[in-house]
Amino acid sequence: MEKEELAPHVSEISRVLGSKVSEDQIEKELDTYLNLYRVSLETAKRSVVRKLGGDPNALNKGVQKKLSELSGSEQSVDLLVKVLSANRKEIEQNGEIRTLIYGLFADESGTMPYTAWDADRFPLERGQVLMVRNAYTKEWNGKPQLNLGTRATIESQSADAVKLPEGMDVPAYGPTTAKVAELLEGMNSVTLTAKILSVETRKIESQEGAKTLFSGMIADDTGRVQFSAWHDFNLKKDEVVQIRGAYVRSWRGIPQLNFGERAEVSRVKSPFPADLDLSKPKPRSIAELDAVGGAFDVLVAGIVVDVKKGSGLIQRCPQCNRLVQNKLCRLHGKVEGQYDLRIKAVVDDGAGSMTAVLNKDITEALVGINLEQAIKEARDAMDPEIIKERIEERLLAKPLEVRGNVISDDYGLMMIVSEARMFVPEVRADAANLLAELEGAQ
Amino acid sequence: MIGREVAWRIFAAEYNSSRLEIKGEGERAPSYIVSPLGAMVNRVFLVGVLTDLENIGTGDEPLWKGRLQDPTGNFYISSGQYQPEATAALAKMEAPAFIAVVGKTRTYSPEEGTMYVSIRPEKVRVVEARERDHWVLETCKATLKRIDAMTDAKEMTAPTVDELVKLGHSPPLAEGVVKATGHYQDVDLGRYREMVVDALKFLLPEYQSELESEMPTELSQRPEEVEDEETAEAAEEEKEDKVLAIITSLDKSGKGAAWDEIVEEVKRLGMDRTALEEVTNSLLDKGLIYEPVLGRMKRI
Repeated sequence: MEKEELAPHVSEISRVLGSKVSEDQIEKELDTYLNLYRVSLETAKRSVVRKLGGDPNALNKGVQKKLSELSGSEQSVDLLVKVLSANRKEIEQNGEIRTLIYGLFADESGTMPYTAWDADRFPLERGQVLMVRNAYTKEWNGKPQLNLGTRATIESQSADAVKLPEGMDVPAYGPTTAKVAELLEGMNSVTLTAKILSVETRKIESQEGAKTLFSGMIADDTGRVQFSAWHDFNLKKDEVVQIRGAYVRSWRGIPQLNFGERAEVSRVKSPFPADLDLSKPKPRSIAELDAVGGAFDVLVAGIVVDVKKGSGLIQRCPQCNRLVQNKLCRLHGKVEGQYDLRIKAVVDDGAGSMTAVLNKDITEALVGINLEQAIKEARDAMDPEIIKERIEERLLAKPLEVRGNVISDDYGLMMIVSEARMFVPEVRADAANLLAELEGAQ
Repeated sequence: MIGREVAWRIFAAEYNSSRLEIKGEGERAPSYIVSPLGAMVNRVFLVGVLTDLENIGTGDEPLWKGRLQDPTGNFYISSGQYQPEATAALAKMEAPAFIAVVGKTRTYSPEEGTMYVSIRPEKVRVVEARERDHWVLETCKATLKRIDAMTDAKEMTAPTVDELVKLGHSPPLAEGVVKATGHYQDVDLGRYREMVVDALKFLLPEYQSELESEMPTELSQRPEEVEDEETAEAAEEEKEDKVLAIITSLDKSGKGAAWDEIVEEVKRLGMDRTALEEVTNSLLDKGLIYEPVLGRMKRI
């Protein structure tokens, strides 16, 4: 082990010994155990502490966890992570200016925000792979957050020590220029050119006191996305801006654009065709949505390959709106359920599939039956399932175009549908074009 | 994430040529069939003409077997008591009809080294011609995407999923393509491309009228082909090889060999029309030939 790598362990032993022994001496002892006798690091540290008159139990246990395993109450935890982002920030503490670094760590299991409370001791940079020891976690907004305080140490690791899932990794070549449809959770230093469709201000309470948040909707020719600006860039509706240094976080799979005071915003000439209505939803393939995890207000076309259980005439709890099954609400027990209509359809475009949830109004329009008729039909037949059968009759194996927000959960993509229509595809013109293309290429 | 298996759009000729199966390990792990173009199929969506339908089971334990024709060949479907929904739907149907099927892949290996594929339907619906046409178009597009991915993979010395994804292919397709290139030798992409061209022409009336005039009328009443894989003998294979050679030699235009010309040729081998039909049906089953248009046979 090289001298540099020893340093964090030397300082840890020094802390346990309470500066009774010089760091040089500790380093010499540790070096002997490790490099001459080749014992394990853990044993070496304990032995050195014992030899120099300290309590080896005061050494950190070194529990190593994955980011997804953190609960928010760890006092001391070790982690092998990659730095996805590192932002510097100056804070005033006891009349002194201190620099801290905050950002996002990632490992195979996920990502987590961190704060390193000393920029000099933790010179974190985007893309580094680190062994972080003795970090602690706290809950913030109901989610664990990682902190590197006075006891923490970092050790540089080889770049391939952390293998991140596809799409999560930091872009290898600095800032990324992206279109709205390409925004992906965890992206940093994003440059995006888009038109501001709406902007509103909101006062929020943060750790540093009251702040004004500027949020709204922006769009380019690939889609629309919600944004939050944590600094006043004097954004105006209908302006076309280029934002540099934005980052992406997602909410239930829907990517959202964030940018703070370190970002740059400049007004640019619109690169979008004048007749293009950016406020309209854009068509997306399910595979694309799968890759980014979700999207705000998009159009998806596919075939209805299944109408799931729980479609048709259902009953909901009058108090919490949950599904009532066998006259029982999961939360409120026996209740008098209220009838509702809905469809949970699996829409499949050949490269991906998602569940589309259609509410009563959309179901009524699409199937051509209203709630009252449905209740009557089910009563007459003494079987509420006939409504589901009727929906299947109408939708199954048919092309359907749906519009809405796409979110993701453990079971994959789900769209909360705001509009739906069955369409008759134009086949011949499309086929002729494709044929001409193929024969032209031959 | 427990994703639902996507329903692939794939033509019969490509599907039936699949000889690679990846069996899922563990109880709920899905199995896949990998086609020569890298479709890694567990579920399919198809629309075609139901040409035959027969219950070879009993009233209490039905087993429906059906044949579904697309512009390139036939899909075989079978549905029994464990597919109550599809079985009940099939019981009410009558051939011929345009039907749509959502189903799972099935394989049958009568002996080592051979594999036949069929479909076990989950959902069956009677649809209209325009829905079949839409499916044909979508399937042309999906097939072209696979041909593109295979073309890119062929350029690489050792294709990997990552590299293919970087070129813009979807991760599931990239995975299938890597598996296909490792298993199938020298897939003739040009022939699949021609198959797509023929399928597109099938959708366009200007080509259809031209093709229909070439179509021999007696073909529409072809006698039923019998699936009897176990009795396949060496003699049968020899006949198949000969017929295959004849089809190849007669296909000078690239549009496939005309049925009447094949019939003339096989007469010299002492085969009559019925015997020839048996052989061509077997070749269709194996995915070695397909019908670009009714009345023409073409090698894959």
